Amino acid sequence: MKRSRALLVAAALMIFGAANSLAGEIKVVANPSVKTDMISPGELKRVFLEENLSLDGAHVEPVLAKDGPVQEAFLQQYLGLSEDDLQTYYRALVFTGRGSMPKALGSDAEVVAYVARTRGAIGYVSGAASAEGVKTLAVGVPSRNAERKLLIRVEPDYPETLKRLGIGGTVRLGVSISAKGNVERVELLGGNPILGESAAVAVKKWVYSAGRSRTIIGVSILFDAR
Amino acid sequence: MHRRIVGLVVASACLCAAQLEAQDFKLFDRDVALHGFASQGFVYTNTNNWLTMNSSQGSAAFTEFGFNVSTSVTDKLRVGAQLYDRNLGQLGQYHPSLDWAVADYRFKSWFGVRGGKVKTTLGLYTDTQDLDFLRVFALLPQSIYPTDLRDATIAHLGGDVYGNLPLPRRLGDLSYTAYAGHRTDSIYSGYPYYLSSFGAQIKSYGGLQYGGDLRWNTRLKGLLIGASRMNEDMTGKGLAINPFSQGAGLVPYSEASKADWTNQFYGEYTAGRLRIDSEYRRYWRNQELFNGLSESFADVRGWYVSGAYRICKRFQVGSYYSRYTITNVVTGAFSALYPPATDTSLPANHDYDKVITGRVDLNRFWNAKIEGHFMNGYGSGPYPNGFYTQVNPQGFAPNTNALVVKTGVNF
Repeated sequence: MKRSRALLVAAALMIFGAANSLAGEIKVVANPSVKTDMISPGELKRVFLEENLSLDGAHVEPVLAKDGPVQEAFLQQYLGLSEDDLQTYYRALVFTGRGSMPKALGSDAEVVAYVARTRGAIGYVSGAASAEGVKTLAVGVPSRNAERKLLIRVEPDYPETLKRLGIGGTVRLGVSISAKGNVERVELLGGNPILGESAAVAVKKWVYSAGRSRTIIGVSILFDAR
Repeated sequence: MHRRIVGLVVASACLCAAQLEAQDFKLFDRDVALHGFASQGFVYTNTNNWLTMNSSQGSAAFTEFGFNVSTSVTDKLRVGAQLYDRNLGQLGQYHPSLDWAVADYRFKSWFGVRGGKVKTTLGLYTDTQDLDFLRVFALLPQSIYPTDLRDATIAHLGGDVYGNLPLPRRLGDLSYTAYAGHRTDSIYSGYPYYLSSFGAQIKSYGGLQYGGDLRWNTRLKGLLIGASRMNEDMTGKGLAINPFSQGAGLVPYSEASKADWTNQFYGEYTAGRLRIDSEYRRYWRNQELFNGLSESFADVRGWYVSGAYRICKRFQVGSYYSRYTITNVVTGAFSALYPPATDTSLPANHDYDKVITGRVDLNRFWNAKIEGHFMNGYGSGPYPNGFYTQVNPQGFAPNTNALVVKTGVNF
């Protein structure tokens, strides 16, 4: 009885955790073969403009969403282009022999499914879309450790139920740090969503040294069930 | 009859392609993409015949189309080829050509090489000048992109090195291209046609072409500026009427570059639905004629300012002002036959063109354009600008207004 109640709580927490991790308008998703967990806006732009089709030495392939608010927001935010401008750009590449027209898919589910099965694929979906089978990339400028030193660290709580059930592992977070050093935003990039939620609560209390501008770093936290 | 059939095929393609998507298929387990385009225009001018068409009567001899296939052989190697054909008045005449055929290997984002028949990078639009569907205008500014002389700049058989370099301190990025190769003009292109007005029958025209392009995507969002340089060493050979004894029959004709270069500077700014661009080109040509019997010095300068605005998803408008001048001096044996032409205020030595355009996108693949040209001058010097004596035997009027209607599809 006690065990089944624990499972029920775990399931509820999972749903809550998953839903909470969906915050945000656009998620950049990649096939698990893509080595990096983070991509800068400049790199993202060069990938989607086919100026650079490798990340960390591995081939990548941009995947587009068809017309819609996600497409519009992504193009505006990261490429600074309208849908029509982008189509013109790709057609110029195609008809001069300098590139190809990326695959364009009609829904978030199609994008995620294609990215999941295609080596090197990178796409974008709404923040609320499922990211099953793909990894979510944090978009930001990686900070050099020396530049943003961690001053205050708060350890995350290990949810009792999960610990008792032996559920652990590493969660990966994308952490956005303000110029003053406060953590502004935490995004779960991978790992158990309940553990991720717990880690995010703790990381939001972390304080870094001040920097020149907002930066995004990747943080991995291990929940050791042993 | 042959032309009617081709015209019918193109018109049918226009209608059918409105329903087409790009075709992808598998070949040896590789994705192969097939794309194409076709356009049909109609031109009416109130005075001079323009672009070798019988346009003062209204002419639909303004057809072009192309198809390409391409595939990625590996993650870094792409190959592809495009076939192109056109009929523009007396030019092209449905003789298809290999537009480009390229193997492109990109080592890094900052360094790649491509070889084969490669589109030449010169200014904003040289490599895309045939691709009518990419822009608002039916005709690009003819001071910089004379469609009758497209063979002069469109492609070279050789190779490019190219790349893109992000600049530090968020200063934007730099793209570079350097190229060298052999340019070959079709005998159905504008320059051999121009020479035929002197009784020359050109058998071959071409030579070495090399240069580079550097463009800076600046820190200011939407602003690009750049510069291009091209050097050429051209030779033309054929037969011509003996200029000293016109009844003596044909004699061997040749012309060869002594100095031949182009400098081009350009800028482009896009902000939302607005696009503004401007270019300046200077083309300098010093060549020997008839094996050195004579020498000519031509100085061609052109610039334009262009603006386009998307009113709604399906409707765009645009306008440009284009200015072309030419001076030419001939020395040696032919100097008496060709007096110096150095006064660019004369209509024979300039062409100032004011243009307004509207474009409607009927769907993603099919567009229609209507364009008005209001031209002063006919700049018909040794590097012509759309006006030829063969189709204007009565002489030239100083002003020409033109109506261009064009529809095109691509997939």
